[in-house]
Amino acid sequence: MRKRIVSILAMGLILVPFLLVGAVSAKTLKIGSLSPLTGPYASDGTDIKNGVLTAISVFEEQGGMPGYDKIELYAQDTACDPRQAVAAANKLVNLEVAGAIGAYCSSSTIPASNVLDEEEVIMITPASTHQDVTERGLPYMFRMCGRDDAQAPAAAKFIKEALGAKTIFIVDDKTTYSQGLADGVKKAAEELGIKVLGHEHVNQGDKDFSAVITRAKQADPDVFYMSLQGFSPAAMMTLQAKRLGMDSQIVTQDAVFQPRFMEVAKEASQGVFQTYGYTDPTTPEYKAFEERYVPKYGKIAAYATYAYDAATTLLKAIKAAGSTDPAKVKAEMMKMDYQGVAKRIKFEENGDTGSNYIAFKVVDDKFVPYWDPEKGLLK
Amino acid sequence: MEYFIQQFVNGLTLGGMYALIALGYTMVYGVIQLINFAHGEFFAAGGYVGAITLGYLSGLGYMQTHPVLCLSAAFVFAMAYCAYLAVGVEKIAYKPLRKESRLAALLSALGMSIFLSNGMMLTQGVYDKIYPGEMFQGRFDFGTVAISYLQIMIIVLTALLLVGLNLLVFRTKIGMAMRATAQDKTMSALVAIGSNKIISLTFAIGAGLAAAAGIMYGLYYGSVRYDMGFIPGIKAFAAAVLGGIGNITGAMLGGLIIGMVEVFGAGYFSSEYKDVFAFIILIGVLYFKPTGIMGENIDDTRV
Repeated sequence: MRKRIVSILAMGLILVPFLLVGAVSAKTLKIGSLSPLTGPYASDGTDIKNGVLTAISVFEEQGGMPGYDKIELYAQDTACDPRQAVAAANKLVNLEVAGAIGAYCSSSTIPASNVLDEEEVIMITPASTHQDVTERGLPYMFRMCGRDDAQAPAAAKFIKEALGAKTIFIVDDKTTYSQGLADGVKKAAEELGIKVLGHEHVNQGDKDFSAVITRAKQADPDVFYMSLQGFSPAAMMTLQAKRLGMDSQIVTQDAVFQPRFMEVAKEASQGVFQTYGYTDPTTPEYKAFEERYVPKYGKIAAYATYAYDAATTLLKAIKAAGSTDPAKVKAEMMKMDYQGVAKRIKFEENGDTGSNYIAFKVVDDKFVPYWDPEKGLLK
Repeated sequence: MEYFIQQFVNGLTLGGMYALIALGYTMVYGVIQLINFAHGEFFAAGGYVGAITLGYLSGLGYMQTHPVLCLSAAFVFAMAYCAYLAVGVEKIAYKPLRKESRLAALLSALGMSIFLSNGMMLTQGVYDKIYPGEMFQGRFDFGTVAISYLQIMIIVLTALLLVGLNLLVFRTKIGMAMRATAQDKTMSALVAIGSNKIISLTFAIGAGLAAAAGIMYGLYYGSVRYDMGFIPGIKAFAAAVLGGIGNITGAMLGGLIIGMVEVFGAGYFSSEYKDVFAFIILIGVLYFKPTGIMGENIDDTRV
């Protein structure tokens, strides 16, 4: 046995020089990403990783980073678990990445950002919408997507004005994001005079929602509002709601804006509404992204576009600054004002890029823009 | 009242699936006193095989013309596949450890569970796999009570499988051999019952039932995912313990109770605490009857 251990160690030592040569010969710019690659939100997290990978390959094609041979992505798995997110953030700090894209769940982004910010690593979240993400005065925390304190009033206004609802039943799955948003919608709805018939919580990872749906059906609300962490539980809940004969209109939120929602919920998904940041699919930037992303990774999902924009912004800023010094990169980011794939990118003082929530409706397996808080019903 | 009936049907559907999974835990425990933590993964694998079979048949167009036949084929494939898988897992991961401490086999089971779940993730992807099965949609409406065809199908199929298993274990020679092995391996070997064969058979039957539950689950919830075995696995394990681990009737009863308590807890109190209610019942029963509802100290009824 001992002999075997010695021989394994010896073989390991032989490999060491190769590793060293590999590390020295090419100068690599390291970028990190944080998103759930396993667990219930693995698909959403993989979309983020794919968005970042697309951004890197486009950037390299356009000349790459001066002074570096290549750009490498270190994709870390947060599993939407705060503890694992902190561990992943520490790993990125040890790898000395030039910046990090992520995380997905607000409950991961907030603790991970504390670690990264302390070590002055720039973090841009493509997907975490909870207001506290950028409200804690961290200098290196940025956000590509909108905020829930804009999404909740927009959703309530939509439910009141466009759907004419008088009663609402709310369900969330108790994450920082989903419960925060559900509470926001409840408050905004009450302010608009909509009666909240119930606010129920389900557990993350639940698949059977028959009991809570039966309860909501009994209450018979005009609108059934789902605030769930990912598209997958939302699709299951929608499917079960329709099968159990619920006829309330279903309204849901940004995390559900995923083409796979229609695949899983099938015919039950038709006519479901969701609030999501407005993206103009006719811009040349969006079309270019579509051409690159779709053949390789399939349909464009909720936060792939935001992840692409986040990574592109980071790389552009590093290039403009000519250094990975976080203060210089941040200065370049604050100067930016350009049309990205998902939205126009111009950072505010606190690191936000503004919210532009509108309501979409699922028609013929597509998310169709339906209502805008300023313009009212579209088309 | 209508609300109660609706929740009752919901609970029966969920409880039936738990019962099918719980049987695998309890049968394996009965024969080799091992908690097979990889059992939840057999359930998930069954769901996947069903999805792949139905997807293939649906692509060929048979699903639209002969839905019942296709569904039967999916059940047969999935149950057979998982039975083989379970026998293989037993041979690789448990058999070499049979003479070692029980803890070693338990850890091996945990490892196998992680291995299988990650294996499914790597081969099938992280995305939900969609279940074809639109033709089984539809429901009966009695006032506000809505009972879907799928719920009826699941309840009926579960009942048939449970009755079939009872007949197999208590009315056939094979069942008698299984019960004999569970009671005393040395003694049963002396009367020419091959314990290896019986252990393999027990794994196969348990996994087959879990695979059937996997397909029902996929049809009912519309999709399957690599990690779907974990939570139902834990619940079914709790059901097996509640009913008295090692006891077949106990596992069926335990599954139904856990499903019912969960649904009624969510329906009448709060869906946030539904798991809490299920485990309160578990603790309550174990406090007064540590061997579970049907569990006995004498080992003559277990398989």
